[in-house]
Amino acid sequence: MNILIVEDNKELAVEVYDFLCNAGYICKIANNCSDALEEAESNDYDAMLLDLGLPDGDGFDVLKTVRKTKSKMAVIVLTARGELDDRINGLHLGADDYLTKPFALTELSARLFAVIRRIHGFTLNNLTIHNFVLQLQDYKVSFNDIPINLTKKEFDIFQYLVLNKNRVITRLQLTEHIWGDILEVNSDSNFIDVHVRNLRKKLDKHAPIDWFETVRNVGYRINE
Amino acid sequence: MKIKHQLSIFNALTRLLVIAVLWFMLPVLVQNVVYHHINNGLLEKKKKFIDHLNKEEINDFIENADDSTETYSQFSTLHNEFLVLSKVPMKAHQKKTTFENDYRTIEGEENEYRILQHHFRYEGEDYQLEIGSSLSEVKDLTFVIRFFIIIVFVVILFITFLADTFYIEYLLKPFYKIIDTKIRRVNEPEAFDHTPIKAASRDFRELDFVLNQMMDRIAGLFKKEKQFISNVSHELLTPIALLKNKLENLLQNDSLDDNAVDKIAGSLKTLDMLKKIINNLLLISRIDNHQYEANEEIHLREIVSDLHEDLQDRIEDREIQFTNLIKHDFIFTGNKTLIHILIYNLVTNAIKYNKPNGFIIAEDGFVDGYYFISIKDSGIGMDESQTEKIFSRFARISSDQEGQGLGLAIAESIAVFHHIQIKVKSIVNEGSTFTLWFEKAN
Repeated sequence: MNILIVEDNKELAVEVYDFLCNAGYICKIANNCSDALEEAESNDYDAMLLDLGLPDGDGFDVLKTVRKTKSKMAVIVLTARGELDDRINGLHLGADDYLTKPFALTELSARLFAVIRRIHGFTLNNLTIHNFVLQLQDYKVSFNDIPINLTKKEFDIFQYLVLNKNRVITRLQLTEHIWGDILEVNSDSNFIDVHVRNLRKKLDKHAPIDWFETVRNVGYRINE
Repeated sequence: MKIKHQLSIFNALTRLLVIAVLWFMLPVLVQNVVYHHINNGLLEKKKKFIDHLNKEEINDFIENADDSTETYSQFSTLHNEFLVLSKVPMKAHQKKTTFENDYRTIEGEENEYRILQHHFRYEGEDYQLEIGSSLSEVKDLTFVIRFFIIIVFVVILFITFLADTFYIEYLLKPFYKIIDTKIRRVNEPEAFDHTPIKAASRDFRELDFVLNQMMDRIAGLFKKEKQFISNVSHELLTPIALLKNKLENLLQNDSLDDNAVDKIAGSLKTLDMLKKIINNLLLISRIDNHQYEANEEIHLREIVSDLHEDLQDRIEDREIQFTNLIKHDFIFTGNKTLIHILIYNLVTNAIKYNKPNGFIIAEDGFVDGYYFISIKDSGIGMDESQTEKIFSRFARISSDQEGQGLGLAIAESIAVFHHIQIKVKSIVNEGSTFTLWFEKAN
């Protein structure tokens, strides 16, 4: 998977770049509009991460130009909340998703996964981890073909952790993923733990899950 | 009362005053004119009489000196004029000619007359000549004149009142147009209509011009603030994103000891708090800056039940009983996201400040045709001084509570933006009730 990162903050671009490379994507960085357009024209990218505030122009113009020729490329707009109207505008212009800054990299990878899966016609339908199979189409999990009954939230947590396997996922990241970007300050509380506890109980019935780690005081990690 | 009515009434009243003054002045004026006229007539007659007064007549009078009346009199057939010549000794310093009004009886008929008295001496004798002219006709005439003039004035008053009203209305038309099209219907400067208003008076053209100028200035400020908000969001949130991503990547490092992991996790929490404060402040600014559309149809009942579902985890976590008693399907036009945030903030506050095993009741209803939704909790409650300041930014009831005290400030901004009134009732240790009162028009 080739991904073009369009972000004028070089350091931030590098962080995203490192993260996505680690996750197995092939990435390239463009720091301004003209570089972005040149890259998008000359190479085939599966996805583009597009910051809106670029030094030589508006990210939307890049989006408009790119959409004229590249209909198969997934575009995720990265924007600050202050540009809320822009988000809606962005979706109208053909962005596939948007993320508000600051975003969790794990959230980015989950969104990227979903968008790419959609653009490629849902050819990838299952995720597997230690013989547990997540059926992405119908939110079901099975172990050796034995169905496991999970709630929507438990499934979402499981999928999020699997998509970001081998990484520590903080409670905050999980909370934001499940309940969205809620505005409350210090909303990180133990109610996410309840869901994780229930999820682990259900999985534990079928096989030992020592790969499903609790990282003390921080969050959770699923190891491959 | 509108200015056009005030002006018309004022004009009518001043005219009425003039008419009233005239009503009282007219008799005096008419009398003066009439008396002057009669006096002149009487003087002329006297002159004629004196000029033609010949020896014979006087002699007649002298011959009849024994006549007990010692009077020579003559009167017109209808008794409206008379003439009397009598022998009266002249008093010292007496004026030769005087006028007076007096009653005289002629052939048994008493009438009021304007009488000229003239004293003169003829061949050594003093005489008094009296010429009278009846006043009864004059009185009738005065009344007729007075009546006629008053009718004319009343008609004039009525016509000018109508003319005034229409003319003032015509003059003030641009004024109302300015109010209607330029002020009342404008919610944000960008929607302001700059087309000049046609007005007959320069004052309104000036007002219109000045309003346009003012709006331009305000629009400029709004634009600047919008730009500022956008800049702040981008310039502040990008470095936060960078820090957050760096720390998240750092957290994956297996060589970290527990202490370092804790510190990184703590920093991530602080960053999250910072992000949320910035986002909340930006949200308030954007609401106050009218950067949201308010044209969505909102089913409030749906919003409350959605929220109930969304917050189920937290309600269960605190072992709170949530009772949804919303029974009306009230539809409100506004911004759905914002209304969602408004009710979300009220409900999460009710959860946060509740007691374990407490309750939350969402209710609605109509009072005097106004729709309300109330969120009642069995929480810690507030005293009066606390309820007063809960809507100000960064206000917290006590320092040991979580949160940054922006939730209710946001709620208030959203409410003001939508013309919704928020009312709070609270009793310490018993709980608080937040009520949203919606406008009738919706």
